[in-house]
Amino acid sequence: METLQYFLPQVWFVILALFLFLYVMLDGFDLGVGILSLTSSDDERRGILMTSLSNIWDANETWLVLMGGGLFGAFPLAYGTILNALYIPILVMVFGFIFRGVAFEFRELSRRKLFWNFAFGAGSFTAALGQGFALGAVLKGIKVDETGHFIGSTWDWFSLPSVLVALTLIQGYVLIGSTYLVWKTTGELQETHYKTAKIAAWTTLIGAVFITVSTPFIYENARARLFQQPLVYIFAVIPILGVWLVWQLLNSLNRKEERAPFVWTILLFVLSFIGLGLVVFPYIIPPQITIYEAAADPSSLVIMIIFIGFLIPVMLFYNLYQYIVFRGKVTGNGYGE
Amino acid sequence: MEFLSDSVVLSRMQFALTAIFHMLWPVLTTGMGIYLVIVEGIWLKTKNPDYYLHARFWSKFYVLNFGIGVATGIPMEFQFGTNWAPFSEAVGNFFGSVIGFEASWAFMLEAAFLGIMLFGWERVNPAIHYLSTILVAVGANLSTVWILTANSWMQTPAGGELVDGKFIVHDYFQAILNPFMVNSVLHMFFATLETSLFVIGGISAWYILQQRHAEFFAKSLKIALAAAVAVAPLQIYIGHLSGEQVYHYQPTKLAAMEAQWNSTPAGQPADWSLLAIPNEKAEKNDWEITIPNALGYILEFKQNLSEPVRGLKEWKASDRPHMIGLIYYAFRTMIGIGFFFAGLMLLSTLQWLRGKLAATNISQQRWLMRAWVLAAPLGYIAVESGWIVRCVGRQPWTLYGQIRTVDSASQLPASNVLVSLSSFAVVYTILFITAMYFGSRIIRTGPNLELPIPGTEVTKPAVDTTPGEFVPDERPVEAQQ
Repeated sequence: METLQYFLPQVWFVILALFLFLYVMLDGFDLGVGILSLTSSDDERRGILMTSLSNIWDANETWLVLMGGGLFGAFPLAYGTILNALYIPILVMVFGFIFRGVAFEFRELSRRKLFWNFAFGAGSFTAALGQGFALGAVLKGIKVDETGHFIGSTWDWFSLPSVLVALTLIQGYVLIGSTYLVWKTTGELQETHYKTAKIAAWTTLIGAVFITVSTPFIYENARARLFQQPLVYIFAVIPILGVWLVWQLLNSLNRKEERAPFVWTILLFVLSFIGLGLVVFPYIIPPQITIYEAAADPSSLVIMIIFIGFLIPVMLFYNLYQYIVFRGKVTGNGYGE
Repeated sequence: MEFLSDSVVLSRMQFALTAIFHMLWPVLTTGMGIYLVIVEGIWLKTKNPDYYLHARFWSKFYVLNFGIGVATGIPMEFQFGTNWAPFSEAVGNFFGSVIGFEASWAFMLEAAFLGIMLFGWERVNPAIHYLSTILVAVGANLSTVWILTANSWMQTPAGGELVDGKFIVHDYFQAILNPFMVNSVLHMFFATLETSLFVIGGISAWYILQQRHAEFFAKSLKIALAAAVAVAPLQIYIGHLSGEQVYHYQPTKLAAMEAQWNSTPAGQPADWSLLAIPNEKAEKNDWEITIPNALGYILEFKQNLSEPVRGLKEWKASDRPHMIGLIYYAFRTMIGIGFFFAGLMLLSTLQWLRGKLAATNISQQRWLMRAWVLAAPLGYIAVESGWIVRCVGRQPWTLYGQIRTVDSASQLPASNVLVSLSSFAVVYTILFITAMYFGSRIIRTGPNLELPIPGTEVTKPAVDTTPGEFVPDERPVEAQQ
């Protein structure tokens, strides 16, 4: 029983990390394309950008819903406490999603596209901003009492470091969005996004360097973790690998490769994700409450593995299948509609 | 305006507002998903291009409703954490898992195949496309199953017990199959289907009245009617079973639904109140019309009750639901609409059997068609009323008899909730008006009968009917392309 109470929360930590990663990667490029549409020069381009997402945005966003549901079931204490503490960023994100989601349908039906284009772009930006602040706040730590209940104040999530995290996340989304568009488009549009990808690669790198360097100084709880043996070696390798990946990415952009930039960007996301995960683990409400303290009853965790865990390959399969169905470049006419 | 500084009341208002608004959209998509499976199936079987065009036309409403449904559903999930953290923590073991099951079993399935259903006509073969349509409908309806499972469990918590304020589950299957579960799922399943059928029938009747594509829309009206023949009476029956369960498991809710202040002991007849003005302060009805002895027949099909009907006065004011009038009239509204649907279905079926609904003469049935147009929004009102009875009637509990609503809410500054509540109110009002506007535009534009049929090389219009009404471009000349 003891080992179960140790093992099951770890399994769920990994499953939730997987859901979150799939979300960040898939809705990441999705939101990135939305943010990029704000800078788009004309209506036709914005139309193509939205068309490139119309059949997938919803499935991409569902990974977050799945992550939320999983967190609720597997770590109810963390679900309540974190969301309670992040009331405003979550709300900002949710309103971003609302505008963005309805923009897809309303734009199609509307004769005045401009407003819905803007709602799509601004909604994407707002959603990403809310997520960035949420991430920053979790890294900084959430103020709780010894039972794990939130005792901080409304604006705890707002600080200079969390602004930095939020801006970097937005840049990361713009980067993955740009490389996705490089892959999915042709001609002038593709040229534009080779450029935006390069700019975003640099801004993301600068943000990441700032965060990496400042983390041990700003976040007390992370400091101990970072310099702990043998983790210190991993934490030393991650930034080096990161710089190498950015270099590869920039090279592939210079060589005008079509798919490689997207792949390099995904690898960058994987690396950052592992880094963040190792800083946080085994805490689920940093800096105090571990996954073992916040976990649901072992029987719940087992039932959830049976009901959700075994569906993961199935879900991955049919998500992949729809990407296969809609493979190829996006044109102005969309996917044949 | 005391409530403006009470974050619990504000959180309740926010949940009610977002739930009432969110529900409007999936109600249509879950039911219409099944309708789309039917028309695409008929098309594949008969090869009659009309049915393909039906699938394309009605899926425009599907996607409009789906987008708003998703956009407004996400706040629902997050609200459990943001506004109801103590509740989430206490019941996460079971309730949270079920929310996770909904996402993985239902939502992901629907989301992944919707793209293929909408945009994949030319990209996959007809069998795969039909499978996608079926999976979208299955996904939507599995959502109903899981959400209603979670909500039923809040009404009749089973399968475990509260230990130190946390619900520990002993038997998952008992919790999932809690006493309310099966009937609640069926009641909601039929509600979504019935609402969609009468929306589709109502819009079709409107075209018939306008003499636009009468032949085309007589088809969709008849499919809706044929399905309603089965659904409308079944819904009344399931509704009756649900009422009986409330009588057994939630006596405070039953008393509120019937505005019964005084108890009626077992073995005695009870009057049924038809209309009343409940007065919560005086604990009586200020005015009412009753039907003598009818409550026994309604609950048990006999005059004398075998169990007592307990009146509201048996409980302290703090242990019974408030807003008795709202619960009482919401319940009567739902039932009234249910019977109206059944009546309209019977009348229409009679006319159909008499040959009065043929494409050539259906537009002569002006009053019947007007009744269908009138019926189009009623399903929504019935569903919302039913949920008001269900959830306002459950008060003052979130987990019936176990966890109170006041103990379930997060400790938040009232100003935060006030800001979020007002933002939701403003944004949702705009969304509602916009959706109505675009929905009516889809109707005014009408079906595109010139869409190429997949798998054929047809270039001329598949069906010869009157073209859609001309909608002038109202934009300034510069903006027209």
